[in-house]
Amino acid sequence: MLQDIRSNIQGTAAKIIIGLIVISFSIFGIESILLGGGSNSVAEVNGEAISPQEVQQVVQTRQRQLLQMMGDNIDPSLLDDQRLQAEAIQSLIQQRVLIQAAQGEKMVVPEPVLGEIIASMPQFQINGQFSPEAYRSVLASNGYSPAMFKQSLANDLLVNQLRSGIAGSDFVTPGEMALSARFNAEQRDLRYLIIPMDEYLVDDSVSEGDVAAYYEAQADEFMTAESVDVTYLELTPEAFFVPVSEDDLQAEYELAIQDYQYATERRVSHILFEPRDGESDEDLNARVAVVQTALAAGEAFEELAKVHSDDIGSASFGGDLGYTTGDAFPEAMEEAIEVLEVDVVSEAIETEAGLHLVKVTEVREGSAPALAEMREQLERQVQERQAAGELVSAVERLRDLSFNAEDLAGPAGTMELELQQRDGITRDTSDELFSNALVQAALYSDDVLQGGHNSEVIELSGDHYVVLRIRQHNTPERLPLESVAAEIESRIALERAREGVSSAAQSALEKLRAGEGVEAVATAAGYEWQVELGAGRSSLSVPRSVLNRAFRLPTPAAGESEFDFVIDAAGDALVFEVAKVTPGELAVMPEAARNGLRRQLGVEHSRLLDIEHLSALQSRADIDVL
Amino acid sequence: MESYRTEEEQVEVLRRWWQENGRSVIAGVVLAVALSGGWQYWQSYSKSQAEGAAALYQGLLEDVTGEQISSTQRAAAVERTEALKANHASSTYAQFAALHMARLAVQSDDLAQAEAELRWILTSSSPGADVKAVTQLRLARVLASSERADEGLAMLETGADNAYAASYAVARGDILMQLGRDDEAREAYQQARLLVAGLDSPVPLQTLEEKLEGLNPVPGEPVTTESATEE
Repeated sequence: MLQDIRSNIQGTAAKIIIGLIVISFSIFGIESILLGGGSNSVAEVNGEAISPQEVQQVVQTRQRQLLQMMGDNIDPSLLDDQRLQAEAIQSLIQQRVLIQAAQGEKMVVPEPVLGEIIASMPQFQINGQFSPEAYRSVLASNGYSPAMFKQSLANDLLVNQLRSGIAGSDFVTPGEMALSARFNAEQRDLRYLIIPMDEYLVDDSVSEGDVAAYYEAQADEFMTAESVDVTYLELTPEAFFVPVSEDDLQAEYELAIQDYQYATERRVSHILFEPRDGESDEDLNARVAVVQTALAAGEAFEELAKVHSDDIGSASFGGDLGYTTGDAFPEAMEEAIEVLEVDVVSEAIETEAGLHLVKVTEVREGSAPALAEMREQLERQVQERQAAGELVSAVERLRDLSFNAEDLAGPAGTMELELQQRDGITRDTSDELFSNALVQAALYSDDVLQGGHNSEVIELSGDHYVVLRIRQHNTPERLPLESVAAEIESRIALERAREGVSSAAQSALEKLRAGEGVEAVATAAGYEWQVELGAGRSSLSVPRSVLNRAFRLPTPAAGESEFDFVIDAAGDALVFEVAKVTPGELAVMPEAARNGLRRQLGVEHSRLLDIEHLSALQSRADIDVL
Repeated sequence: MESYRTEEEQVEVLRRWWQENGRSVIAGVVLAVALSGGWQYWQSYSKSQAEGAAALYQGLLEDVTGEQISSTQRAAAVERTEALKANHASSTYAQFAALHMARLAVQSDDLAQAEAELRWILTSSSPGADVKAVTQLRLARVLASSERADEGLAMLETGADNAYAASYAVARGDILMQLGRDDEAREAYQQARLLVAGLDSPVPLQTLEEKLEGLNPVPGEPVTTESATEE
C-alpha cells in the first residue's frame, strides 16, 4: 500500500489524504489513534474523563481504610468492589467538579507552596526534620508514587481554597446569637406525675381463650426459623500430614539454626585514662604505666579501676561495662576484646575517649537451641510444606468429583475424607464455619437450595476449603401453642397494661385540664409527682421524654397552662403541665453554653452553604456517567 | 505547474518575486515572532500573577484557621488581604480574603468593618457569581444585626432565586423574627426546611428546628409528626 501511495503521490486525492493524516497526528497525537480516544473512561465531567485506574485507586485506598478501622473480622460485603466503585465514581465526580470550578476562578497551588506544605507534614519528618527517605517509604506503603501524591495533595489544596472561601468564611452575627439564644436557652416551668405501668400488669387476668385467640390471630409471628441440614466435606492441610522422617527433621533443623541468631557474649571491664587539659602524651602514658606496674605487682583490677579510671560511671563497679556481642564498643576495643583470654588485662588501647586497659571477666558461648526444643515447630513446618502441594491437587480433584457427583458420599469415599453433617443452620447462625458470608451465600443460592446440587468448592482461606450440599430444607413451620403460650400470655398482659396506663393518663389529663392541680390529682390516685421550675431544654432532672414533648407545646397564655402526656420507654405514663415559658437571654447564658451555641450555629450555617455550593456547581456541570 | 527552461530564468523569477513580496514576508515574520513572544510573555505573566495571589491566599488561610487567632496572625492576615486587594483586585482570591476579613470583623463585633469588606466584594464581583450571592446573604445578615433589618430584608429579595435558597430562607426567617413578624418568619423557616430536605445530602439543622418549635404552631398540633403516645 505504501508503494501505491508513493507512486500516486502526485495525485490530488493522495495529497489530501496525506495532509489529513499529518493534521490529525499533529493535533491529537499518536496516542489518540492508537488507544482509541476517550472511550476508556468511566465518567466525564465537562468533557474531562475519569479513568478506571483513578476509580481503582480510590477503591483500594478505601478498602485499606476500612480494613484498618475494622480489622480482619470485617464483613466482606463492605469491601465489595462494585459497591465501593459506585461511591468512588461519585466522589471523583464531586472532586473533579470542584477542581474545575477552582480552575475557572483562576485558582492554583504554586509549586513552592506545595513543597513547603509537604515538608511540614509530620508523617514525613524524623526528629522534626523533613526526611526524603521517610517521604518515599510512607508514600510507597500507601501505594502512591511521589508524583501521584503531589498531584492529589495539590488537588485537595485547590478544593480547600475554594470551599474555605465560600463556606469556610461564614460567621454568626450578634443578632443571630441573641435570636437563637431565645429558643436554645428557653426555660419552662414543669409539673408532672408518673403513672407506673406495674400497677396495670396483672398476670392472671389472661384466660386460656385469650391466648388461643391471639395465637390464631397472629399466626405468622409464631413460626420456626428457616434452616437447612447440611452435609459437607472440609479440606485442610492437616488431612495430608504424614509423619516426618528423622532425616527430614535433621535437615530442617540445620536450616533453621543457620538463621538463628546466636553470638558469643563477653563481659568486659576497663580502666579509662582520659587526656587531661594540657596533659602531654608522656604524662598520660606514665599514668597508664603506674597502673600496669600495680597490676603486675598483683593488685586487683577492680580496686585500681575505682581509684584510677576516668570513666566515673563504671569506676565504682570495678570498671564493669556489662556484656558485648562485638558491637557495643569502638572497633579498636572490640578487636582487642575478641582475642583476650579471660582475666588477662590488655595493653593500652587507644580510642576517641582516651587510653583503655581492658579485661574480659566472663565469656558466654552462644548456642542454638537443641533439636528437641524445636521439634514440634519444625515438624509442623515440614508437614505444612509437604501438604501444601497435595492440598492444591486435592482441591482440584474435589472440584472435579463434586461437580460431577450426585451427592458428596462418592467424593468422600474416593478421596477418603470424612463426610460431616450439621443440622438446623439458620441464616443468622453464629457458628464460625456456617456464618461465613461465602458459605451462607452458597447455602441459600438457588442452585444449592432449590436445585439440590453440590455447592462449588469454597475457599475460606488460603488453606481451608469446603464443599456442601443440603440434605434437608426446613421451611418455617408453626410453633405449637404450648411452646408459645407463656410468651403470648405476657404479651397480652403487657398490651392490657399499656391500655390501662393510657386511659389512666387520659383521665388524669382531663382532670388537669378541668383545673385540678398536678399535686392534687397525684395525691388522690397515689402517684408520684415532681415539679421543676425553669427547666432548660437539656435539663438533667426532668425525663428526656417529658422535655422533648414539653418544649414543643405552644406557649400558654399568661396565668394559664398547657397539658399533655407521654409514655416513656419503660411503659410508664408521664402526665405534665407547662405553666410558664421564659425566653432565653444571651446575656445570662453561661459562657460555655454561649460558646457551644455559637459553634453550633457556625457549623450549621457553613455546612448548609457548602452543600448548596456543591449542588450548584454540579448542576452547572455537564456530567456523564458512562 | 509552470516550467522554466534554464537556471538563469528560474533565478530571475525568484528575484522578481522577492522584490515584489520581500517586504511583506519580512513584516509577516516579524509580526509572527512578536505575537508569539507577546503571547508567551502574557502566559508567564498571568501564571506568575495567579501564583502570587495563590501564595498570599494560602498564607492567609493558615493565619485565619483555628479557634483562637493571635494578634500577629490577624495583622498578617490584614496585610495579605491588603496586598491581594492592591495587586490582584479582580481576582477571586481578593474577594475570598475580604470574606474572611468580614468574618474576623463580625467575630470582634465590628459590624461596620464587616459591612465595608462585604460592600467592596459586591463592587468587584461579577453578577451571577457564587461569591456575589454569598456576599449579599452575609451583608443582609450584618445589616440586620446593625439595627437595619429592613435594608437586610431588601437585600435578600434581590438574590432570593439562586443556588443558596435554603440559606437565604433561614436568614429571611431570622430577620422577620427580629421585626416581630412571627407568622412570616415561620413560613420562611418552613420553606428553608423543605429546601434543605431537597438537597443532595440533607443536613440536620438543630437550631432551625428549635426556632420552629418555639414559634408555636397551631395549638395542640405538634411541630413534628412524632405522636404524643410513642416515645
